Amino acid sequence: MAKVYNWQLGREMDFPYEVERPERQFAMLFDTNKCIACQTCTVACKTTWTQGRGQEYMFWNNVETKPYGYYPLGWDVTVLDKLGVQAMDGSVYTGKTLFDAAPTGEVILGYLPDDLDYAHPNIGEDDATGVMPQGAHMTMPHMQWMFYLPRICNHCTYAACLSSCPRQSIYKRREDGIVLLDQSRCRGYRECVKACPYKKVYFNSQTKVSEKCIGCYPAVEGGRQTQCTTSCIGKIRIQGFLGKPDTPDADNPLDYLVFIKKVALPLYPQFGLEPNTYYIPPVHVPAPYLRQMFGWGVERAIETYRNAHQDPKLLAAMTLFGATPEISHYFRVDGDAVVGYDAKQAEIVRVPLREPTVVRALYDIKHKVYRTNIT
Amino acid sequence: MMARPFALVLVLVAALAASAAPAAAQAPITAVRVPGAGPIVDPDARVWKDARPRAVALLPQTVALPHLAAPAVKELQVRVVHNGGFIAFLVEWKDPTMSDRLVSDTFGDQVAVQLPIDAAATPPSPMMGNAGGRVNIMQWRAALQHDIDKGPRTIGDLYPYAWSDVYPDEVLGATDAKPYAGALGIENPVSRGVASPVLDQMSEGWGSMTVKPDQHAVGKGVWKDGGWRVAISRPMVSDDRNAPRLVAGQRTFAAFAVWEGGAREVGARKAWSPWVPVVIGR
Repeated sequence: MAKVYNWQLGREMDFPYEVERPERQFAMLFDTNKCIACQTCTVACKTTWTQGRGQEYMFWNNVETKPYGYYPLGWDVTVLDKLGVQAMDGSVYTGKTLFDAAPTGEVILGYLPDDLDYAHPNIGEDDATGVMPQGAHMTMPHMQWMFYLPRICNHCTYAACLSSCPRQSIYKRREDGIVLLDQSRCRGYRECVKACPYKKVYFNSQTKVSEKCIGCYPAVEGGRQTQCTTSCIGKIRIQGFLGKPDTPDADNPLDYLVFIKKVALPLYPQFGLEPNTYYIPPVHVPAPYLRQMFGWGVERAIETYRNAHQDPKLLAAMTLFGATPEISHYFRVDGDAVVGYDAKQAEIVRVPLREPTVVRALYDIKHKVYRTNIT
Repeated sequence: MMARPFALVLVLVAALAASAAPAAAQAPITAVRVPGAGPIVDPDARVWKDARPRAVALLPQTVALPHLAAPAVKELQVRVVHNGGFIAFLVEWKDPTMSDRLVSDTFGDQVAVQLPIDAAATPPSPMMGNAGGRVNIMQWRAALQHDIDKGPRTIGDLYPYAWSDVYPDEVLGATDAKPYAGALGIENPVSRGVASPVLDQMSEGWGSMTVKPDQHAVGKGVWKDGGWRVAISRPMVSDDRNAPRLVAGQRTFAAFAVWEGGAREVGARKAWSPWVPVVIGR
């Protein structure tokens, strides 16, 4: 085992390989408060990459309802249950990672889902934590809650799939940190399927090998964001690159939101994989649940998010979500607008921080009608 | 890309040291000369009656991660024959569950015969060779045997109530649909339909096993009455530089591995044998 630094845990941890961080890390941010689970991202991914035989129930991108939605069935609660209760009392995680908890003779603590666990991609959809009694919706906050969790491969810094493959069929690209599964080397052992706690590697019964999200690398290499990002009608996502956690660039929107403002948090950081998709937590969900899912700092992230309207730079970075199909490497506030720049610092998008509001008169004199929608 | 595990070299050296000595001390299996020509692929062929079965004890694989501490199969019965052109192994073992259906949570039965590629008094590591110590691994897979005998299982075969929209190959044609066919589209040898259920491979240590461009190994497996009988055959001499050259009178070695798919044994989770000396009969 090598000692590596996991910034999400605030400490060193054991990992089977020595790791040199990529030059830049593919990353994606999601604003869970804006997701409506329309599954446009899911369909965009599916029609682009997984239409083939053996991929019928394979979703590299999925959106599940929390707390009772899972794809595959029960993936996160199963892993959490196997890991057991762990200490998490501050910004430095003192509990065990999945690598720490590996049984004898295994690389990592994991499990292989049953085949039928993949048969219910929409299970738990729209289910809240319980029933709202008569009239309960009149008071806020609501006693019951649910939210939508969009998921892709996390392209982890310390990827479990990569470390568990006895053939080194999975590799992490130095140029962008995208984790790829070599379709010519894979022999279908499914060690990666078992090891990935997020269950984002899938076995294909027709090719007899495993497959996973490729981070839309052909688009990313051309400076464009992934299909799931550009198709998002709610503009809840932004995809770009993270720099190094110890030297964040305040002009990079992803660095700014993740490393500096800490408004977007990793998914189950306690697993120890340093996942690279980040979530702005849902503001209405109880903190204990969110701490388990997104780690320490959820309350602060929500407070920061709620106050974004008072912070022009934060608002600017968040306004870039869904603003352009191209990857914004840099951004800055220019008057009342945010400007996004590509890798060569050329302007690619300009968006007003606040849309102008026009209030029209209730009665339209010209047409002699009342307007039902007056904004 | 990342560095290989630190422990690999040390463990490999330990495995080498532990394995080479006992191999030479064992009584060799004789590859009995039998009449005929061509590959010997029928487990029920008469020629096997000329060879005495040898029990080969199997060990749990607990050196390279992941381990298999308690393999389901403890022993194989092995017979070896040759006809001057082809050498053949008949490997038999008890397996109450025939496993050749591959979905997310099921694995296939497999057996492998390993031969050193370079003739030497001391063979390479029995655990898939080592750097500079090349081995030829002929691996029979029950799933490939099923595909050859009965055709590959379609989605409809695996999931009778499955429904799907149009597949790319139904509208694009075979060539244009290749990008949608994953490993099949790039002809990964474990994916595509092959003429033989035996993969002819080379290895120089863990994680390095590669299916060779030229496939010479052939065979056939039959499951009956709670057991597998698998014949694996290859040319004794070929123009393949990465294949062993076997001649009558020569002493070499063979090692074996088996996977019980019903117990989710796959890859490194296997039962394996150290080298067993083999004499090619005259």
